Amino acid sequence: MSMETVFVIATFTTPENFGPKPLSMLWLLPLVAAIAIIYKATKLPSIKAANFMKETSILFGSIIVFIIIAALTLHVFAWLITG
Amino acid sequence: MALLSREKQTLFLLIVGLLSWLVPGAGHFVLKEKERAIIIFATIVLTFCVGIYIGSIGVINLFGATPWYVVGAQVMNSPMVLFLGRMTADGAYPVYGWPNEIGQIYTSTAGLLNLLCIVNAIYLAYLRGIEPTRG
Repeated sequence: MSMETVFVIATFTTPENFGPKPLSMLWLLPLVAAIAIIYKATKLPSIKAANFMKETSILFGSIIVFIIIAALTLHVFAWLITG
Repeated sequence: MALLSREKQTLFLLIVGLLSWLVPGAGHFVLKEKERAIIIFATIVLTFCVGIYIGSIGVINLFGATPWYVVGAQVMNSPMVLFLGRMTADGAYPVYGWPNEIGQIYTSTAGLLNLLCIVNAIYLAYLRGIEPTRG
């Protein structure tokens, strides 16, 4: 087994080092992309590259906008309650 | 496609479901939906790999304190998860805090997405089995 292979496998045996920082929230983006891609891959009657990318982008954007609205609403609630 | 007998169709649906679980996208591949199969395989494998990259293979903790619903969702990725679970059973890959949580969210979401694809592949196979009876 080559050293490169060993290094690649080693990255899967030790966890990344990060905590609850605002930038850590960006980890949700790849997950939202995966959900949008799989959902559209199962729902579209036929897969054409341009249409698939358009539909996936719309769903991805919709989810992100909804998350931002939910986050802002919760933030306003927290601000009103805590003063 | 010729009309399949009920037993043959049930067996075919089971095979499609099992293949989809063994390798994400394989069920769609058998149904000659190659584009869908490639998209499903790449997305689910990548999502699962991101999960175990963030939290290490320690996030696959089948016999530890991980809630049953997380374990169930992770196992839906592929039987390979059971093999990973045996590797981590002795606690050799400890992981705590955010990396553990984010890793579990990624791996279990990948599993749930594969469950959606398994159901979709079985439904497509079922529709193709009853197609000749329509109209």
